[in-house]
Amino acid sequence: MTDETAGAIPAEEIGDEPIYSLEELSSSCHVEAAWVVELVEQGIIEARGATISEWRFSSLSVVRLAKAKRFDRDLGLNPPGIALVFDLLGEIDRLKARLNAQQRAPSSLAGDSSDPA
Amino acid sequence: MEFKDYYKILGVERDATQDDIKKAYRQLARKFHPDINKDAGAEAKFKEVGEAYEALGDPEKRAAYDQLGKDFKAGQEFKPPPNWDAGFEYSGGPDNADFSDFFGSIFGAAARGERGGRASRSRTTFNMRGEDHHAAIVVDLRDALDGATRTITLRVPEMDDGGHVLVRDKNLTVQIPKGVVEGQSIRLKGQGSPGMGEAPAGDLYLEVRFKPDPLYRIVGKDLYLDLPVTPWEVALGASVKMPTPSGAIMLKVPAGSANGRELRIRGRGIPAKEPGDLYAVLKVVWPPATDEKARKIYEEMAKELAFDPRAGLGV
Repeated sequence: MTDETAGAIPAEEIGDEPIYSLEELSSSCHVEAAWVVELVEQGIIEARGATISEWRFSSLSVVRLAKAKRFDRDLGLNPPGIALVFDLLGEIDRLKARLNAQQRAPSSLAGDSSDPA
Repeated sequence: MEFKDYYKILGVERDATQDDIKKAYRQLARKFHPDINKDAGAEAKFKEVGEAYEALGDPEKRAAYDQLGKDFKAGQEFKPPPNWDAGFEYSGGPDNADFSDFFGSIFGAAARGERGGRASRSRTTFNMRGEDHHAAIVVDLRDALDGATRTITLRVPEMDDGGHVLVRDKNLTVQIPKGVVEGQSIRLKGQGSPGMGEAPAGDLYLEVRFKPDPLYRIVGKDLYLDLPVTPWEVALGASVKMPTPSGAIMLKVPAGSANGRELRIRGRGIPAKEPGDLYAVLKVVWPPATDEKARKIYEEMAKELAFDPRAGLGV
């Protein structure tokens, strides 16, 4: 690590502004447009706009599409299967966050343990 | 270079059928897929399994591997005999950046076949925006609070003049914006694959993951801190000193607070347009009755306080 901040590439937070067309999205992710349409129909990624030619996607869609592509490539999942995995992963994240918030620190509970003698 | 026993990695016998191999791979791939399994070792395991399947899932490659592998054991020093693979022909895309040197030494650098379904196939012509890349980046809570500069190393496949694919380590210094949260993606413009023709390069997307923090539990933008308090502090109320990411504060503990009560300190979580909150979770700690003075006080409480915590149990 020589130059710490000089030349550092600023990472930008990605938003949900609809910017990419269907063609732009599918070509930048190297997938078929028809496959993207299937993902939209399954509710995996969100398209804004009334007709397919007016559809616009956010950069959040790029991330979800890349993940969907990995599920297709690595696990052989079809779009309904991918949609199910996304739903279940979302649920697991939610539960984990709740568990994490409630988790007890192991050391600070000296007097809290029950001891049925 | 060490010899890799791909059969052992997939957990199958050497005489397993192609179907068995496929089944074993599918099971392990589901188990260790880094999008599903967030454990630290999962990604490495997933790649290893993928590499093993790449070698054994294709009967041609499997035959070559078997011929070569019959004299070797896992972990043994391995050197492929010169020109040993003349007569085997492999085809496939230049997508094996993640495979081991061992794999490369057997099957060559460009040996990975394109797997998978309908994704990953469209190749259009002339001006085409470069492909976006995706990777993960692990940050500390401090990085999210203050922003930070991190150097990450990516393995990128590159084509040389002769059309051979080489894997190169690419270092990128990344400025992480303040206020990132777990699971969020950030983007580095133009750091994906170069575009074709006039088209711009693709972007690099990084999924943010947090290293566990010794003090705070991170839940989205909110932080949780276990705050030890005494029985008399919760019973009578008190002002207690507690840390926050931006320095110590005095927290008012209301009288009559229960163990486990969460007190919110607004806006002291991860900064953002709408910053997260910090929660102090009260953890009552009782002093031990080890010396005479403490014993006396406990005895007095036992005698003087009409307190039965088991009144509701019906016994």
